[in-house]
Amino acid sequence: MWRIWMLFDPRRALVALFVFLFVLALVIHFILLSTDRFNWLKGPHPAAAAAQTSSLPATVASNSK
Amino acid sequence: MIDDKRSLSGLTETEARQFHKIFMTSFFVFTLIAVVAHILVWQWRPWL
Repeated sequence: MWRIWMLFDPRRALVALFVFLFVLALVIHFILLSTDRFNWLKGPHPAAAAAQTSSLPATVASNSK
Repeated sequence: MIDDKRSLSGLTETEARQFHKIFMTSFFVFTLIAVVAHILVWQWRPWL
């Protein structure tokens, strides 16, 4: 496996790898922040949380309030 | 001397071996941290 560094320049490979991992991490974190379930800053949106926990449809559950 | 023979990347065999050792160690540390992070997130909110 070490022979790969005879083909690819480690400096370029490292820069490419770091950029790729950073962009991937950024994309995944923003996708998670955009969801209700995995947003660790604001938590679930009240309507979405009610829809998830209630057996009733979201519109019925919000009407019964 | 064999070691002076330059490759496509410009590294000698010794340099390639040395770099590979550091690279693999870093890779395993990174993977370990990622696994721990995933276990913690799974405990917080499982996604499957």
